[in-house]
Amino acid sequence: CTDLDEGIYGQQVADDFYATEAGVNAALANIYNEVRGDWNGKGIAGADRGWYDLNESSTDEMIIPRRSDGAWDDNGIWRAMYQHTWTGSQEFIGNTWNWLYRSIFKANLAVELLTKANADPARIAEAKVLRAYFYYMLMDGWGDIPFYTENNVTVDQIPQTPRAEVFKFIENELNANIDLLPTAKGGQFYGRFNKWAGYALLGKLYLNAQVYTGTPRWTEAIAASDKVINEGGFSLVQNLYDNAGSQAVFGDRLSDQEVILAVYVDALTAPRNIIGIRTLHGPHATALFGFSGWNGATVHQDFVNKYSEQDKRRDQWLIGPQPGGVTYNLNISSIDNAGMTDGARNAKFLPVPPFESNNSTSNDFPVFRYADVLLTKAEALLRSNGDQGTAKSLVNQVRNRAGLADITGTLTLNEIYDERGRELVWEGHRRQDMIRFGTFTAARAFKAQSSDKYKLFPIPAVAISNNPTLKQNPGY
Amino acid sequence: QQRSVSGVVSGEGSPLAGVTVVLKGSTNGTSTDAEGRYTLSLSDAQANGTLVFSYIGFLSKEVAIAGQPTVNVTLQSDAKALDEIVVVGYGTQNKRDVTGSVASLDEKDFNAGPITSPLQQINGRAAGVNINQVGSEPGQAPSIRIRGITSLIGGNDPLVVVDGIQGDLNLLKQIPPSEIESIEILKDASATAIYGSRGAAGVVLVTTKKGSAGTTTVEYSGVGSVETIAKNYELLNASEYRAAAAARGIENTYDFGGDTDWVDAITRRGYTTTHNLAVSGGTENFTYRTSLTGILQQGIIKKSNSENYIARFQGMQSAFKDKLALTFNLNTSVLTNDFNNGGRIGEAINRRPTDPIYVENPLNKDTGPYFIDPNGFNYLNPVARTTEIVDGDRTNNLFGSLRAEYTILNGLTATAFGSWRKTDREYQNYISARTTQESARNLGVVPANLTGAERNLYIQNLPDGIASRELNSSDEKLFNFILNYKKEFGDHSIDVIGVNEWQQQVYNGFRASARGFTVDTENNLSSLQSSDPTLFQAGNITSYKSDRTLASFLGRVNYSFKDRYMLSASFRRDGSSVFGANNKWANFFAVSGAWRISEEAFMSGLDVMNDFKLRVGYGETGNQQGLGPLNSVRLVNNDGTVFFGGSVIPNFSITQNENRDLQWEVKKMYNAGIDFGFFEGKLSGTFDGYYGLTSDLLFDYAVPQPPYPFGTIKANIGEIMNKGLEASLSYILVDNENVGVTLAGNVSTTKTEVKELSGSLNGLPLETDYVVWASGGTTGVASTNNAISHLIIGQSLGTFYLFKHAGVDANGNQIIDDLNGDGVISDGNRENPDRYVAGQALPKFTWAFTPSARFKSFDLNMVVRGAHGHKIFNARRATMSALGSFGQTNMLKSALEDGINNLTYATDYWLEDGDFARLENLTLGYNVNTEKFGAVKSLRFSFTANNLFVITGYSGIDPELSTSGGSGFGVDYGIYPRTRSFALGINATF
Repeated sequence: CTDLDEGIYGQQVADDFYATEAGVNAALANIYNEVRGDWNGKGIAGADRGWYDLNESSTDEMIIPRRSDGAWDDNGIWRAMYQHTWTGSQEFIGNTWNWLYRSIFKANLAVELLTKANADPARIAEAKVLRAYFYYMLMDGWGDIPFYTENNVTVDQIPQTPRAEVFKFIENELNANIDLLPTAKGGQFYGRFNKWAGYALLGKLYLNAQVYTGTPRWTEAIAASDKVINEGGFSLVQNLYDNAGSQAVFGDRLSDQEVILAVYVDALTAPRNIIGIRTLHGPHATALFGFSGWNGATVHQDFVNKYSEQDKRRDQWLIGPQPGGVTYNLNISSIDNAGMTDGARNAKFLPVPPFESNNSTSNDFPVFRYADVLLTKAEALLRSNGDQGTAKSLVNQVRNRAGLADITGTLTLNEIYDERGRELVWEGHRRQDMIRFGTFTAARAFKAQSSDKYKLFPIPAVAISNNPTLKQNPGY
Repeated sequence: QQRSVSGVVSGEGSPLAGVTVVLKGSTNGTSTDAEGRYTLSLSDAQANGTLVFSYIGFLSKEVAIAGQPTVNVTLQSDAKALDEIVVVGYGTQNKRDVTGSVASLDEKDFNAGPITSPLQQINGRAAGVNINQVGSEPGQAPSIRIRGITSLIGGNDPLVVVDGIQGDLNLLKQIPPSEIESIEILKDASATAIYGSRGAAGVVLVTTKKGSAGTTTVEYSGVGSVETIAKNYELLNASEYRAAAAARGIENTYDFGGDTDWVDAITRRGYTTTHNLAVSGGTENFTYRTSLTGILQQGIIKKSNSENYIARFQGMQSAFKDKLALTFNLNTSVLTNDFNNGGRIGEAINRRPTDPIYVENPLNKDTGPYFIDPNGFNYLNPVARTTEIVDGDRTNNLFGSLRAEYTILNGLTATAFGSWRKTDREYQNYISARTTQESARNLGVVPANLTGAERNLYIQNLPDGIASRELNSSDEKLFNFILNYKKEFGDHSIDVIGVNEWQQQVYNGFRASARGFTVDTENNLSSLQSSDPTLFQAGNITSYKSDRTLASFLGRVNYSFKDRYMLSASFRRDGSSVFGANNKWANFFAVSGAWRISEEAFMSGLDVMNDFKLRVGYGETGNQQGLGPLNSVRLVNNDGTVFFGGSVIPNFSITQNENRDLQWEVKKMYNAGIDFGFFEGKLSGTFDGYYGLTSDLLFDYAVPQPPYPFGTIKANIGEIMNKGLEASLSYILVDNENVGVTLAGNVSTTKTEVKELSGSLNGLPLETDYVVWASGGTTGVASTNNAISHLIIGQSLGTFYLFKHAGVDANGNQIIDDLNGDGVISDGNRENPDRYVAGQALPKFTWAFTPSARFKSFDLNMVVRGAHGHKIFNARRATMSALGSFGQTNMLKSALEDGINNLTYATDYWLEDGDFARLENLTLGYNVNTEKFGAVKSLRFSFTANNLFVITGYSGIDPELSTSGGSGFGVDYGIYPRTRSFALGINATF
């Protein structure tokens, strides 16, 4: 009568589970489960109040005003994002931090298990590149950050590591592992880091190297982009906003021809994406899908006006009468008391089924796509006084697809900046771009000039109180 | 020829009910009714026999009948047991010998009226026992806290033991209140240590009624009550709303031309009826009692109901010349609930009064006649939600026990006891589109090629409805073997007990849900397979199983010398499967002693003092409630699905931080008290003082991320203190044949303080201070300033730590007092120089006044009780006052005067005094003289009013909120309404 062993039924003890081959595979798959969006700040994109909103609602290409019926008041949390008045207690910041470090824990675990199991080097490399990607997002957002690569440590063994050192780690880790990744696209590698996604990430790392370390790395940015451009076999899909079918750039399943890394989303089996439903007004969405929209995210007219009338990409902004008796006004009257239908709505992520009512659509999310790589190389060329003609032709590829004529005069950095905005709007790149171009803290509609400290997020208040050795970012 | 003898038995000036009357040397016997009367049929031969009258607490008396038809008897109280027998852990004791702090209540102390839970019967009756009823939701039992809060997540529910069967508070739902003979509450650790790792929060011991030898007795008791809402929110009505909207310049697009009182539309009159029919009787060797009980409640909110049917059988057989006593117990019940909780009130008070309930042309064809705001996001019609939902459960309970007690030698007994308790719960939930819940409507996918009217038609014909079914079962077994030795040697008396106990609890269940039905009806609950298979999601089918085992060895020695000096010592060793691998076994012990000063020779001159006893005790107990199975190891659990390798596959994630050192909480408690009786027992009472310290406090401590994958870890680190004083007094003012008046009452103080929340885990410091304990002080979903109450070192649990309100500015924003004067209002939920400690959530003292009176056949009982010294954060008022959402939701009338648009900070503006005094129960009874009724032995009618008035300054609908100790207590987020009820009751014995 003194047998006190616990019965273990539905769950499994971690040590036993991960000792099996299935467990090792599950450890890698589990990282991708962190990549897709979900509530509480989980995932790159899809749900709200996480990494995506940190990088979008703080920029000029997304604004979530308080509506005249009191909706989206949320005690000013959205306006604080737009106007740069956030603090270390801001919920999205803590959520995102926790998500990234949980993901790193899982990546560390996968690296350890795969190595121990003598797994296929491609798989070990995949886990390492994923980990590098999480550190890239952390370093991009917070600068100097706690750094560790093995789980079995205590907090005193995880020093806050300077941004440049984390940069070095990511650089080395990517360079050592990218070529081990598979070159295959789609199929069983859809939604996973392959070699091209690795180079796309490396290209972005180098493109922003000056911001991260003070030292520009334009040549390396060009070289990484060239790997994708010359060896990847990608091209731009001509019909950009046909979000149905296998060639969609935005939609249920993204094109392997243009999208280099996608986040797979399915409302029923791998939720969640609310980007499309969050922008539409209630009756509009009801008329389209049978459930109401959130009437949240919109854009200031200044941004929409960056698109010329000929630009096909202007069509992604819904303005004027819509089904359901809704008419969107281009102009937003106020950030504190916007009319119910103020602001253009974005149809890039127009909901595709299946749905989980208005809690998730099934739109996949493009993390890296070919147009971004083309513009990356063009910018690096321009900034390093490289071949102007090549740079111009790269930008023109993107412009032509949008129905715009070639750039004839001199290609300016400003044009690349605007082209990136028009092309990559709402895809999570804007904050990084604005910081690199020095426009992030500048005054704009409904926002005054903000302090330089906002180029980094504050270390979450909770993280500091639980680990007092962490040094807060300057100014916070 | 049959004759009979009858008479009245009295004692201490009043008739005695339940006195056993037996003809000596026969099995012929009966017991007295409520009026003290008895009648016994006799054969001729017996007419000259002798009657034996016996009653607990009185000396037995033998009287020769001598052929007389009437024998009236007065019994002398037994000085030695002025006191009754008190049930203590694993045995009984004379009350006079008890050394710990035990509240003992029997039937005569119970509250009357529409009683649906045993705890309601003793509300207000015992010092230091706080019974708290939040709202009047059918089937919702009150919570009980014994001597305050001593644990954070460890759990504060006492252990419940019913006739030896151990369980949680749910066990009480299976006991008919009217079948309870007595309830003992073990309050201090010296009394509860015998229950070891389950004893820290106190122990409630319930003893049910048993049959007695003699004539068969049939008892019926019934109560019917009518309930109304005691207090409603003062909301704007439609015309006031329109006027206020116009004054605020709000476009009338919100106005759909209705004039609706939403609360009125979802509520109704409540009814409670209870019936109890019991039959008991038996012979010298076999006695039994069996009963049928029905407790039926119709709640104030529509479609909230509860029905509890309980049947029980209890039998006792003695054999082998009374050496073997067998006690058999079987109890079965079926409890059915329809749920519509306080959330419905929240939805109703939020709705604009200008919205109609019904429309002629609904927006969606599937939503029935209910109005839906076409511009609303997830608009919910409260009437539709309340009346169309199918949400309820049915629990089948069964428990039984068998006790075999064998007397080996004089004074030495061996007892084997086994109990088995099984519950099976079936839960069903059907959300139709008619509930207007958007997630249940238009499920599925519209083909992309459809447009306009065609598309609209297709959408309208999409499948609807979500059906869920769930089965949960629990299976709890207990076996113990007890050796007991009781002996008196001259002036010495000894009582030794040794127990080996084994308990196992197994829980398992499964749940399935399905969505999207062509025909949207609750019948789909019986046909989950008719759902749309393409809408299946991971997590729509789940199952679980877990178990826990507890093995224990325990012993206790009670020793008394000359009835003056009493000493008790107990020890228990518990091994539990839920503890971490490094801490499977734990030891608990207690010692206590008492000195009956009144028995000393030097006190013999003091006639006024009949009884005076001093008690002191110390004990260590544990608490393992907060530990679920498998809390200590790192687990991998299925976590939905993940897309990987080109397809969707099951996903597995680690689910918690591991802590292999996880163990029970330890509570150490000192107790000292006196029991006294003065003036021939007219004034009697008890004083107790205690000091307790819970260490190895179980809590979800914050840990740094990185390296921990989750932000909290269950660990034993902190310490909390609680101490208090308790007094209960009773004074018999008048006590004669026709009139009796007794004044009684009790007062308790409690002070609880967080001593430590930081410490070290695995050798590394862990800082946990200013832990947010309740939040939601602003309407924002996740504002950084919405924390209301905190755990702060040196303060009471759940101390309100708030910003200070300093007025309202022209824009309707609250002005916050810059307490540290640095020119900025510091942001944040944790330690903050602009927040201050504004009060505590736990009452500093509680009291109850329980006088009783009788005049001839009438009697009057009353419970007035109160709580003082605490605050309530009226979050409901705050959210109903934020004018920023005017046009979207309704408001309190007071909001217009407050003039606050937004709630950015949790301020003391919403903090109110929580003090109250409530007339909990007023019962007037009338005992009918049944002398001429023949078969009817006793008949009683009673009238009870519950919650007749509340004296309080609190502006919410009721000041009695959860003080259970869990996070969020002391904050009024909205409750199920509290009712006022009027009940008629009848008790009859045949």
